[in-house]
Amino acid sequence: MSKLTRTLALLASIAVVSSAFVACGGGNETTSSSAAPAAENSSSAAPAEEGGDSSAAPAEEGGDSSAAEEGGNEEGGAEAGGELEAGAVNLPDTDDTLTIVCWTDADLANMFDVYANHSDANVVYQNCGDNGADAAVKYATYLNSGDDVDLFVAEAGWILNYINDNSMSAPLSDLGITTADYADAYQYTVEIGTDNDGVLKAASWQAAAGGYAYNTALAEEYLGVTSAEDMQAKISDWAGFEATAAELKEKSEGKVTMAATIGGLWQAFSTAKNAAWVDGTAIQTDVAKEFTDMVKGYVDNGYVNPKVEQWTTDWTNVGLQGETLGYFYSTWCLGEGAQLEQHGGTDGNWNIVVGPQEFFWGGSWLCVSPNCNTASEASKFVKAFTTDASIMEEYALYSGDFTNNKVAMDKIVADGSNSNPLLGGQDQFAVLSDVAAGIKMSDSITKYDQNLKDTFLDVLKKNIDSSTDDIISAFTTQALADNPDLTA
Amino acid sequence: MASAAQSRIKSISYAKYGYMFIAPFFLVYCFFQIWPLIYTFILSFKGNQANNAQFVGLDNYSQILFGTGSSEGASAVHEEFARALGNTFVLWFGNFIPQILLSLLLAVWFTDAKVKLPGKGFFKIVMYMPNIITAASVAALYVNLFGDSKYYFVNATLMKLGMITDPVEFVAGPTASKVMVMFIQTWLWFGNTMIMLMSGIMGISPSLFEAADIDGANSTQQFFNITLPLLQPIMVYTLVTSMIGGLQMFDLPYLYHNGANFSKQLETVAVYIYYNFNKGTVDQANYGYAGAASIVIFAITAILGSITFYMNRDKDAIAKKKQRKKAEKQMKAKMKQGGLSI
Amino acid sequence: MSTKSQYGEAKDNYHQKLMAKSIAILVVCILLTLICLVPIYILIVNSTHSSNDLAQNPSRFFFGPHLGDNFKTLMNNLPADAGKAAKRVAAQYSSAFNLGKGYLNSLIIAGFSTLLTVFFSAMTAYGLTVYEFKLNSAAYTFIIGVMMIPVQVSSAGFVRFMYSLNLINSFIPLIIPAIAAPAVIFFMVSYMKSSFPLEIVEAARIDGCTELRTFVTIAIPMMKPAIAVQAIFAFVANWNNYYTQNMILKNADYATVPIMVSKVLAFDKNVDNGVNYLCITLSILPIVVVYFILSKFIIAGVALGGVKE
Repeated sequence: MSKLTRTLALLASIAVVSSAFVACGGGNETTSSSAAPAAENSSSAAPAEEGGDSSAAPAEEGGDSSAAEEGGNEEGGAEAGGELEAGAVNLPDTDDTLTIVCWTDADLANMFDVYANHSDANVVYQNCGDNGADAAVKYATYLNSGDDVDLFVAEAGWILNYINDNSMSAPLSDLGITTADYADAYQYTVEIGTDNDGVLKAASWQAAAGGYAYNTALAEEYLGVTSAEDMQAKISDWAGFEATAAELKEKSEGKVTMAATIGGLWQAFSTAKNAAWVDGTAIQTDVAKEFTDMVKGYVDNGYVNPKVEQWTTDWTNVGLQGETLGYFYSTWCLGEGAQLEQHGGTDGNWNIVVGPQEFFWGGSWLCVSPNCNTASEASKFVKAFTTDASIMEEYALYSGDFTNNKVAMDKIVADGSNSNPLLGGQDQFAVLSDVAAGIKMSDSITKYDQNLKDTFLDVLKKNIDSSTDDIISAFTTQALADNPDLTA
Repeated sequence: MASAAQSRIKSISYAKYGYMFIAPFFLVYCFFQIWPLIYTFILSFKGNQANNAQFVGLDNYSQILFGTGSSEGASAVHEEFARALGNTFVLWFGNFIPQILLSLLLAVWFTDAKVKLPGKGFFKIVMYMPNIITAASVAALYVNLFGDSKYYFVNATLMKLGMITDPVEFVAGPTASKVMVMFIQTWLWFGNTMIMLMSGIMGISPSLFEAADIDGANSTQQFFNITLPLLQPIMVYTLVTSMIGGLQMFDLPYLYHNGANFSKQLETVAVYIYYNFNKGTVDQANYGYAGAASIVIFAITAILGSITFYMNRDKDAIAKKKQRKKAEKQMKAKMKQGGLSI
Repeated sequence: MSTKSQYGEAKDNYHQKLMAKSIAILVVCILLTLICLVPIYILIVNSTHSSNDLAQNPSRFFFGPHLGDNFKTLMNNLPADAGKAAKRVAAQYSSAFNLGKGYLNSLIIAGFSTLLTVFFSAMTAYGLTVYEFKLNSAAYTFIIGVMMIPVQVSSAGFVRFMYSLNLINSFIPLIIPAIAAPAVIFFMVSYMKSSFPLEIVEAARIDGCTELRTFVTIAIPMMKPAIAVQAIFAFVANWNNYYTQNMILKNADYATVPIMVSKVLAFDKNVDNGVNYLCITLSILPIVVVYFILSKFIIAGVALGGVKE
């Protein structure tokens, strides 16, 4: 009998131990906001230092709003946006920390910096997954895990998976936000953010127009080009781009390539064609085929180095070491601290032009988690960055990102208020505003895009010496193996 | 009195304690392993992506094993699975063979009393060290040292020394990357195997070696006639553990890549399962393939495992049986003799 | 006379041969030592250089002056006048690689798993060797059989099951299953069979010791060597278990050291190579140091693992 009790005691002790783990988990939960101070440290420091550079507003406002507590009514006069207002929310409002799940903290860090000027809400982000492809995978687990999520950031490559799944995302109307709020937005962002049932599920703060940024010193040395207009004239179509690449190769004795990566070329080449990867269930390879033909020539002629992988150290180094004339960038690469600066743009001797084709790159949307329990704050945040022209203008000037508000962007361009020191004072918004207006991708994106694009580029780089047909068939084979839903 | 107590104890049945002692294992095992295994089994009969709730029978198996089935990419699915299976075996053989040879050689050297080797203890410690390092860190370390361009240590150094003119693709190269993974795996495990084998060798009675010395056997003969046969059980143990580890090789092949996506040329079955299972939201993932691949690898492990175990156990049992028979004979002979003498 | 000199010659010859062999072995050993240590050394060297220096000359063999800067970036402790780019890098690294938290999480998981593994495995092994019961051999055969099931086989179902139990982002699925470790039981059973006298149990019974107490106070101390070995193996295995941890722990707050390293490795923006190396160094170095301190004990333990039936 006593042995039995002892055994029971043992089992009980196991239970205690395991409950200790639970407690442990709980303990961590409360410290989860510790990511916030880190984020907020950088945010509270940045506006002050940033104020002098781009616009005076953030610095002044930053001082005001942090001093003025909730009674932000008074400061309405100074700030066009005034107090942030939540819509009529239809989700619980029980938590006081707004948690946003993201896969890269670059955008959110900028947003938090700007947001701190307008709100003292407790906003934190959870960065899960550190690149887009990875995040598409990790989000599903994260959103199901029961951990606090109010909003999450989804990327064009895989957003459809999430907005078409009601267990993953809630309608924006639950935050009191409707399609009518997006009259000034670039319409493609609204179309993509609308799910198959016509419900608005996601809103974007950016219109990810892209351009070709080039090193002006190299351009002058090898091509004799001294202005962005001349550069654009030289590379205004793919034939011109190729001819310039040939000239560059000859003058630099093969030391400098025209484009940094195949991935960048693909982005510029493919998105403007607005061709879907999948039609019905059939995988479309026409654009891929066309691109393969073109890029094989580029590789053979040394206009691009196929070994340089997008988003790697090599990618950074070819810019830093002057081994490439330029990069295809999206607007979110052009702000202070973003890719351009890391790739050697610190001297201000880079310029941006539209390039051979108008293109766009990615773009992220804010989506609402069905488990959102900070609805009012979530509503304020989404409204601030996707509908409020003045905050979006501030954000554009602060981050260099092309925001999703025509009024705000037109105002910046008209005022000439943006001068990017990394681009030698050039205003990237003026260059890219036409591009942004022309973005069409709503009818071409599918939920398989991320996977298919990754697979295609992977197959292409591995088999660059094979014939175009072989590359395309290798791609199709792999794509079918990964996606039994699809057909050739 | 003592004998009374003893007999009392003998008469008590302790069987229930046996069950009690092994109960936690079985409870936890069933809950965390058997049920998930059954679950995996069920998943393997269900569809992929949009069809994930549909019962499809053996469709997944026929796709991954034979390349026939409902999806248009069935043959591609089979190709990929076959490639993953091939990679698994290639990577395992490629690290097991050099590893066991190197370890055996070192173990023999280190246990050879005639060889005067300074710092034996130090060597052992250093050689075992890689084994304790997290595989994720090891992968990160090697990717950063052996990167494909001139911006990474090994290529930069080799180019500086003039040994190569163009960088070698240690990470993205289809053959080089496999060789690297084999090398790293060997690097990780040879110390461990060596120490295992050493203790096995030291467990062999020294008198055997002395006798062989007296009989004039040289060290090679001693190795093949004494060390190796007597080391067999521990070699089998190493083989089995290495095989189990090899069939589930995941960390290194999955993490040894540059850029965002894992390297398809290093895709092992474990990576295949992980990838298909974790391909995004529910209607993007291929639970069916992942489940079927899991069951297939389970079957393969079970078969290979029981073969090695059977061979090893059988021999022991046969030897014991023989010994017993011999002893019985001797006894009988003795009894006969005794009988005669009486 | 002549025989003696002949013998002497042979002996000299023998000694020479042995000497040559020893030197050859020494050379091989030194080479292998270098292969083991040089990557670690270069790793540490590289973590003391800045990303820019490494880009200009990646082939560096000596320590550089930037260890402190890399540390500041990793800890997000940059001077106030640092540029926004540097701050972005620092924010990214510090949020993904929080060394203290990573080590704590890894320690909790590996520590508790190890405790559970050795205790319950010893208990199961004890139950199987000491008691005779109907299902004894069936149970043992079962354990040997399942020993070979790879983790991946059930992982698909395991993760889905943990979802349904709402145990994602929890340490429980990483710790409690450690109770069931067939390979450890297998080892302990063979250890007990060879070196655990069953008479001792009977003696304890005569002295009126309860079964559980016999196990805890008599058997466990006697099995100490086997427990120590398996504890080392279990700890290392759980510490390094990236596969399961990566599937269960999705929240950055629960990330363990291997997860953090793989995150840093996956960065595709704001990469700073010097800090990358520092992260890897920090994930490796403490373990290596602990290992070297305990190395004699560990090596002895591993050797014990080899001595078995």
